[in-house]
Amino acid sequence: MTNASVEEISSSLHLEHSERFLLPSFLVELSSRSMQQVNGRAFSPREISIFAMSVEDEWADSTSALMVGDRDDCTTIPLTPSTQSSVAAVDVSSLKVGETETGVLVAIRGAIVWRSDKGYQYVRCGPLTFHLTYGTDEQSPSGLFGTGPSQMFTERAIGRLRNVLERWIQKQTCVSFRDAIVLFDGSLTVGTPDNPTAYLARILESARERGNVVLAFSKSTKLCAFGRKITSLVSRSSAPCLVDVDLAVAKQFKSYPVRLAGHVYVAKLVEDGFAFRLDADRQVPHESRVEATNRLIASDIVMQGYPETLRLAHIFSTFTANDVIGVQRYLAFAHGLRIAPRFNVRKSLFGPFGTWEAA
Amino acid sequence: MKIYRKEGDVMQLISYPDEEVNKGDYLLVEDQRSRRGLIIQVIDIQFANIPGILEDILRDVMTEESIQGNDVDPLDISSQVAVLKDTKLLVCKIRGALEDGRPTHNVAWLPSRINSSVSKFPIETLTSEESPSRPIHLGAIKQSSRFIIDAKALDGRLNIVTGKKGTGKSHLSKLLAMSLLDHGAPCLILDVNGEYTNLTRRASGQSSPYEGKIAVLTPRLSLRFTLAEVGLGTIMDILLHALDLPGTSARVFARIWRQLEQNSDLTLKTLGEAIASSDCHESVRDALQSRYNTLVDAGIFTDDPSAANSRRLLERLAAGSAVVVNMKNQSFTIRRIVVELLLSKITELLSCARLRAVFLFAEEAHLYLRETYWDDIVTRMRHLGIFTTFITNQPDTIQESIYRQADNIFLFNFTNERDLDVVSRAAKVDGESVRLLVKDLPTGHCLAIGDVVRDFPIVVSVRPLDVETLGGTRFFFEENRVACSR
Repeated sequence: MTNASVEEISSSLHLEHSERFLLPSFLVELSSRSMQQVNGRAFSPREISIFAMSVEDEWADSTSALMVGDRDDCTTIPLTPSTQSSVAAVDVSSLKVGETETGVLVAIRGAIVWRSDKGYQYVRCGPLTFHLTYGTDEQSPSGLFGTGPSQMFTERAIGRLRNVLERWIQKQTCVSFRDAIVLFDGSLTVGTPDNPTAYLARILESARERGNVVLAFSKSTKLCAFGRKITSLVSRSSAPCLVDVDLAVAKQFKSYPVRLAGHVYVAKLVEDGFAFRLDADRQVPHESRVEATNRLIASDIVMQGYPETLRLAHIFSTFTANDVIGVQRYLAFAHGLRIAPRFNVRKSLFGPFGTWEAA
Repeated sequence: MKIYRKEGDVMQLISYPDEEVNKGDYLLVEDQRSRRGLIIQVIDIQFANIPGILEDILRDVMTEESIQGNDVDPLDISSQVAVLKDTKLLVCKIRGALEDGRPTHNVAWLPSRINSSVSKFPIETLTSEESPSRPIHLGAIKQSSRFIIDAKALDGRLNIVTGKKGTGKSHLSKLLAMSLLDHGAPCLILDVNGEYTNLTRRASGQSSPYEGKIAVLTPRLSLRFTLAEVGLGTIMDILLHALDLPGTSARVFARIWRQLEQNSDLTLKTLGEAIASSDCHESVRDALQSRYNTLVDAGIFTDDPSAANSRRLLERLAAGSAVVVNMKNQSFTIRRIVVELLLSKITELLSCARLRAVFLFAEEAHLYLRETYWDDIVTRMRHLGIFTTFITNQPDTIQESIYRQADNIFLFNFTNERDLDVVSRAAKVDGESVRLLVKDLPTGHCLAIGDVVRDFPIVVSVRPLDVETLGGTRFFFEENRVACSR
């Protein structure tokens, strides 16, 4: 699983001896077991447009669609760049690469990017491929996630697999750095079945033990305040600044089990940039959270309001169309999967007069 | 390899990096169901435009230059992605078809994308007979170390050998001439650089089996005719075409010549005296006098019948030998006189059937061939039995009509667009193939087009010759000399 150069990079990540593996072995085994079921079968590859620059299955954060009603609960905090420190970022992508008669074929990949004195460095983990069946086959990772309607069921299974890898890499990152700012993609909202509270709590605890501060950036948020998107709150504030909306948002999370592990801000880090929802580890004192953001803008390039380290992590983890074809080629070579054209009812019924979208 | 698309006579294939395919290679697209195949030739190799390749490359560039890192890739999928990045697009021209193993020209059908297999095709099985009666070992091709053409394909044909300087044109011309000589074919070589004068010597300097079969004629030294041997017709051709004598003066000259012939007193001396004392206008006399002086200075006419051996040597052509006319260091006028004289004599020999045919090798013909000869060579002379091979590094010096009517063309490397424009006018092959294949030919390789390869253009690595090399570029610096000798 590892090679010399990865060892070298892992060393620079200061990984502890027992946690050097950036891909969890159970996930690799799960991948192998699930793929054994489909050896020699036919599959319909995902069709890639020649105009596609990159392909990604976006996973909406269901907990971010909330309303904020009280303007008095929001305060603006100006930011000032302070001392420099290490910045690390984690992102994970998943993608359906094809379908079999019994399920879907999925690829997952993660990336850690960090910025130090040497510049940007990265480790990319994966891709790993999985066959998720619609049923409750014990060999399939889907079997680990209970039962449900097939389409939604596999989508949840993909989401969970993705979360497993993401949390694993986040953990490795948090225990590898000291006094660093660790950037996550998404929010720190937990408590859903796919996103258990305990695991994130342990990650954040590990980070705090080593003096790291976890900041999570959401690229898109459905949080609304006073009938508008929450990010519009900072349109009149002079950047860099944070708008503390935690109190207003927290009112929406009174009920168990969903809860905010992060203190919620709206961050506008550069004048001409976008505003993003920023969740900072709730267990870290307010001053430290603000100071961590001050250190972030002093340590990382912030293009259009988004930290470069996190942007790179996203770029490294996402799949290009070329990657998708490469994965499909791997499936054909390694597992003898035969490519079979996808049956499309619309195409069959209407021919050129039908729309290309699936029904 | 898989069929990607077909448009007109162009077919595009997708090929993986581990499939070794080169420009000029022949492939067979075999439709398993219809049991037919298309014979196609690779004329260009490009990268396949894979979706997302730009983003991948940009990511790679960014990674290599500013971001260090590595992949934990237990399934080694990145190697599959790397393969995709190097996936090739083969641009091919359809050259013919195979039906039940027999070559046909029926290419008006489309092979199945799904049921077709693509494989390398040994084109030499179609271009040459298994045991040609008059084989010429031209060199090697990709699939075969011994590429043979039939001398018959040069017989009665008009050929062109062209390419930029130092690519191997003269070498191939020597090979063709010596191979024709092996089959007893007479060859007349018009040599402007003195490159063919030592064909009787091996590279080691020892004599070769061609000694006695090749005669070298050099103006002023060994190229000598008496006026009687030359005849009035030939002399008039020289005066009119090589020395631009006006018509009126030519008529006066013909009268003087006939008068001397009637008196059986036709010598250089008496001709000169007769011109000097002729009863004509002073300007005509001056014109005749100046032409006479040029003819005398040329040193190719003699009054001594024993010194005039050229006619004899030319007649030896009939016995299957070669005559090299060494025009090195000769002026433009002398070259034109010599060529007029020789072509006239050869035509005479052919007309009276004393010579069946002759293979004429004309190096840089624009330096000595008059305008009217170009059309003459492809029409009248061809019917008489003069089969010309033009050799030049300036393709625009050969008339377009010659390219259109050429039966065989041997193209060496050209990089200049204008030169490529000119050679792509050849009727035997499409311009796109010429442009794409010829540009990348290495030294010593030529694209053979026409009857010799049965209209399947083939890239040939011309075999070396064991002859003393003359005419190569002379170098001052030692390392250049060493490199050239390699």
